[in-house]
Amino acid sequence: MFLILGGILVAYALLAPLTSLEAAQSANVPLLADRLWFRIATYIAMFIVLASAWNIIGGIAGYAAFGNVAFFGIGAYTTGMLIAKAKWPFLAALPLAPVVAAAFAAVVGLPLLRLRGHYFAVASLGVGVAVGELVQNIDYAGQPVFGGATGLFLPIYSIENRGLFFFYLMVLAAALAVAVTWLVLRSRFGYGLIAIRENEEAAAVIGVNTTAYKVAAFTLAAALTGLTGGIFSQWNVFINQDNTFPIEYNVQMILMALLGGTGTVFGPAAGAVLLQLLIQFLGGTLPISFEIPFVSENARPIVAQVILGVLLVVVVLFVPRGVIEFFGGRARFSLAYLRRSLRETSL
Amino acid sequence: MSATAAPQLELRSVTKRFGGVAAVDGVTFEVREGEIVGIIGPNGAGKTTLLNCISGIHRLDGGDIRWRGDSISGMPPHRIARLGIGRTFQIVRPFGSMTVRENAAVGALFGSADARRRPREAFELADHVLELVGLEAKARHPVSALTIPDRKRLEVARAVATRPRLLLLDEVMAGLNNVEIDAALEMVETVHATGVTVLLIEHVMRVIVGVCRRAIVLDFGQVLAEGEPESVLRDERVIQAYLGERYAKRRHTDPGRDGP
Amino acid sequence: MADFVQLVVLGLLAGGIYVAVGVGFGLVWGVLNIVNLTHGALVIVGGYITWMLFAGLHLDPFLSLPVDAVALFLLGYTLQRGVINRIIRAPLLFTFLLTFGLNLVIVNTLLLLFGSDFRSVTPAYSGQGLELGTIVIPYVPLTALGVAIMLAVVLGLVLNRTRIGLAINAIASDRDAAQLVGIDLRHLYAMTYGIGAACAGVAGGLIAMIQAITPTAGEPYTLQAFVVVILGGLGRVSATVAGGLLFGLVEAFGQSIPGSGSVFANAIAFGLMVIVLVTRPQGLMGRLR
Repeated sequence: MFLILGGILVAYALLAPLTSLEAAQSANVPLLADRLWFRIATYIAMFIVLASAWNIIGGIAGYAAFGNVAFFGIGAYTTGMLIAKAKWPFLAALPLAPVVAAAFAAVVGLPLLRLRGHYFAVASLGVGVAVGELVQNIDYAGQPVFGGATGLFLPIYSIENRGLFFFYLMVLAAALAVAVTWLVLRSRFGYGLIAIRENEEAAAVIGVNTTAYKVAAFTLAAALTGLTGGIFSQWNVFINQDNTFPIEYNVQMILMALLGGTGTVFGPAAGAVLLQLLIQFLGGTLPISFEIPFVSENARPIVAQVILGVLLVVVVLFVPRGVIEFFGGRARFSLAYLRRSLRETSL
Repeated sequence: MSATAAPQLELRSVTKRFGGVAAVDGVTFEVREGEIVGIIGPNGAGKTTLLNCISGIHRLDGGDIRWRGDSISGMPPHRIARLGIGRTFQIVRPFGSMTVRENAAVGALFGSADARRRPREAFELADHVLELVGLEAKARHPVSALTIPDRKRLEVARAVATRPRLLLLDEVMAGLNNVEIDAALEMVETVHATGVTVLLIEHVMRVIVGVCRRAIVLDFGQVLAEGEPESVLRDERVIQAYLGERYAKRRHTDPGRDGP
Repeated sequence: MADFVQLVVLGLLAGGIYVAVGVGFGLVWGVLNIVNLTHGALVIVGGYITWMLFAGLHLDPFLSLPVDAVALFLLGYTLQRGVINRIIRAPLLFTFLLTFGLNLVIVNTLLLLFGSDFRSVTPAYSGQGLELGTIVIPYVPLTALGVAIMLAVVLGLVLNRTRIGLAINAIASDRDAAQLVGIDLRHLYAMTYGIGAACAGVAGGLIAMIQAITPTAGEPYTLQAFVVVILGGLGRVSATVAGGLLFGLVEAFGQSIPGSGSVFANAIAFGLMVIVLVTRPQGLMGRLR
C-alpha cells in the first residue's frame, strides 16, 4: 500500500514541474507546481544525496562522520573555481567535483579512520570546520585564493528553464545516490562494511581488509557529497563559506539518515524529505505560512532551531531506528513502541 | 601426512608483552598439516594471547611465526585470514544485525583464497557449512534468537566458511553441558575430517583427551610440556601448574589416586 | 625576548580559561563516557548569569561565580537525570546527537531571551594590569587563571577525598560493579554531570569577564574543550590542567605567526588534535582509553 502511495508522490514530484514549461502552458495543462516548489524540491533532492552519502560511511559502515559537509564545500569550490576562474564549461567542471572530494577523503581518511567512536566523530568534525576556514582564509600574494569572505560569483548558466534543469540534475544525483546505496547493500563490499560495523575485529579475522574498506566507504560518501556541492555551486551562482560549509548541514544529514533509518536504502531519502520539508516549513520558506503566537518574524528562525533541537532529542530517544521501520511493516507506531525504544537505551 | 614434510605452522620463540609482563614468553612449537593439537593451561597462561599473535591481532615483541615456510608475523589479520588461517573467539562475536545464514555467508565472501565468492555462491557455501555444524534449521533466524551453544556453532561455521587450512578454536566448549560438549566434539571432528588442521584451546579435559593427538601445556606464557594428552596430563609439572604444589605433593604420598 | 615572555604570559592566561572549560568536560567524558556537545551552551549560560548579576545587581563578577556553579549544577543534574540518562546505553552516536540537540535548544532559547547583542562584564578594575618592565599581566585574566587552577584543585579534592568522589571513581572504573556495591547510578550519573556543568558555569563566568558574550559564543568552547582533554589526556584533572595551559600557549604562539596566523586558529587547534590522536592518543598524561 505504502509503495503505491509513495510511487504516486514520487511521480507527482518528478512530473509536476514539467507543467510549468511554456509548451505545456500553451497546451493549457494545469500548473501543478511553480518555481518556488522547484527550489524546495531541488533542496530536498540535494539532501537526499547528502543523507544517503552519509549513510554509507555512518550508517552502513558504522563510522559516524561529523564533518561530511567539508566534501560538499570542496565539491562546490572545485566546480566553482573551474568555472569562475579557469572558465571551464559547467558540464566539464562538474565531474571534477566528486573526484577532488574523493581524493581529499582518501588522503584524510587514512589516518582519521584509524580512530574509533568519539575520537573519529570529533576529529572528522574538526576537519570539516578546519577545511571551511582554510578555504575562506587562504591567501596567496595578498589575494584570497578562493574568493575569501566575499565569496565567489559564477557566471549564470545560460539554458532554457534553468530551474527545471537543475531540479532534474539534482534528482538524477539523488537517484544515483539511492541506487549506489542499493548496490552497495547487496554486494560483497556492503557485507564487509556491515561486518566492520558490527564487529571490526571479527571482520578482520575473517578476511575483510578493514582499512581499505573503510577508506573506500568514506571516499564513496565524499564523492557523492562532492557531486552535490558541484551542482549547487552553479545552481546558486554564488558560493562562500557560509553556504558551502554550513555546520548545520552535518547534523541535518545525520538526523535525516537517523530519522529515516540508518543502514537502509530508502531510510535516508525518507528522512531527507520529511526533515527538509519541516525545516523549510519552520523557516517560513514554504508557500504555506503560519503564525506562531507570541513570536515575531525575526524570532521565527530561532524558534525553528529550538524545535529542531527538540526534534533531534525526541528522535534519538524514541525512534532510534528510524521511521522506515513503520513503512516496512516491521514495527507499528504506538505508545508501546515508543516506550520500548526508551527503555532499551535508558540507564 | 609425511613425517618428513615441513610443519604447516611453526612458532619460534614467540614473545608478547603487555606493559612489563610477558603474556607469551618464548613459545616454540610446530603443528603439522592435518593434526588436531590442543593447547591447555591454567587461566592466564597466555593461551588466547597466543592465538591472537597467530591470527595477527597482536604484534609480536619477539620471535617469529611461520606459515607453510613463510613468516607471517607483522601481517594484518585480514591477510592472515586470506592465507588460510581461521579462528573463533572465546566470547563469540556474531554480526548482530544479520541472520545466521548471512553471518556464515560473510565468512564465505571473504576469508581464504579458496573462498572469496560472489554473494550467491557465498550463500550456497554458507548453507553447506551450516549443515556441517548443525545449524541449517535456524539459517534464517536472527542471531539474537540463538542460544549460547548455537552461537558457538555459528562462530565455528563462520570460520569454516572462510575455507581455512588451519582453524584456531578458542574455548569452543566453555559453558556447554555434557550433552552439548558431545555434539560440539562431533562438529569439530567433522570439520577436521574435511582436511582442516585444528589447533584448539580448551579447559575441558575430555575434549583434549578425546580428540587431540597432541597437547601443549602453557603456563605463565611458556611451554611447560608437550606430547600425547594422557602423558602430558600425568606430568608432575602440569599437575602442579593446575592444581598447585600441595595437591601434587599429596598425590605423591597417596599413589592410589590417579589422574586429574 | 620580552615579546617571547609576553606571549608565554598571554598563553598561560588564555590557558586558564581553557583549563576551566576543560575540567568539566573531561569529567563527564571520563566518567560517563559522554562527549558532551552541550558543554559550550552550559558555559555560556554561566556567562549570562554572571552578566545578569553584574548588570542588574552590580555584583562583582568574581562573587557571582559560586552562583554560577550552583545554578549550573542544578541545570546539569536535571538534564542528566531527566533526559541524558535515557540514552546512556545507546551507541555513542546517539548521545552525541542528543547533546547536540540540547545544545541547539539552550543556545536558541538564550537567543530568544537575550537577543544576539554582545554583552560584557566590565568591573572597575577590568582594564588594569600588573606591569613588570615591558610585560603586562592584566589583572582579570590573571585572577581568572587563579580561579581556574583553584577550580581544578577543588575538583581533584572532591574526586579523591569525598564519598561522592569515591563513588564517581567507582563508576568510572566499572559501572556494573559499582551498581553491585549499592551505588545509585541514576543519581550519581546526574551528580557527575551536575558537577561538570558547575565547572562549565564557573568557566562561563570567567569568560564573561574577559570577552563580550553572545549566545553562540559558547560553541567554539565545546570543541576546544575536546582538544584540551585530548592534549592532556583523559583520566586525571591534572592532565586536563596541563592540556589547557598547553593549548593556551599553542594558541598564543599560533596567533603571533606573521600573516594571517590568527585566522587559522581553529585550523591549528584541530590540526594539533588530529596529530595527537593519531600519534599519541593518550595525550600528555592520560591513560589509554
